[in-house]
Amino acid sequence: MEDIENSIYALKTSAGQERNVARLLARKSKDSGVGICSILVPESLKGYILVESSTKIDMRNPDIKVPHLRGIVEGNKDITFEEVKKFLNPEPIISSIQKGSIVELVSGPFKGERAKVVRIDESREEVVLELIEAAVPIPVTVKADQIRIIQKEAD
Amino acid sequence: MNACTSCKMLSSKERCPVCGNPTSSNWSGLLVITNPDESAVAKELGISLAGEYCLRVR
Ligand SMILES: [Zn+2]
Repeated sequence: MEDIENSIYALKTSAGQERNVARLLARKSKDSGVGICSILVPESLKGYILVESSTKIDMRNPDIKVPHLRGIVEGNKDITFEEVKKFLNPEPIISSIQKGSIVELVSGPFKGERAKVVRIDESREEVVLELIEAAVPIPVTVKADQIRIIQKEAD
Repeated sequence: MNACTSCKMLSSKERCPVCGNPTSSNWSGLLVITNPDESAVAKELGISLAGEYCLRVR
């Protein structure tokens, strides 16, 4: 890990409690002998947080006991800093959408409807869609975080 | 909670208390930096102040 010799640990939390656990753990481990330097809560990891520490994380240590912290992911392979880097600069969903992709709207007035991507505006993070079920294909413009990709490639 | 559109620090303000840039409520991912001097993550992101940050902001 470059010139800093820390390890990254994946800790398991109760679902939906990731942020609370991270905040409590940060507070509790401060001024203890535990060398936690940072805690990451990537949106894409449900039920897990990543902890950067200069000391080995021992779940029996009372200094890291916080509610909803369920355990440590023991593996034979350490999590590398390269793997962590991809969480530091999460790729926006828009870069994985293509013209012709089939998506589902996850919010807004057309929630639950499926649509085909007809145009992508990367700078505004918007996509223009055509609703599949609509009798008349009216283009609808939505923000990229209002959709979920069903099928990435165009047929 | 809002996130600074420049340094990504979380605050409840409309302008970031650290760098003065506008904040946004449209953010995701949480990063808690407790020891910026010893953290490879903080170094990678150029963070020198302990605190709470987001991973992505729009
Ligand atoms: Zn700022």
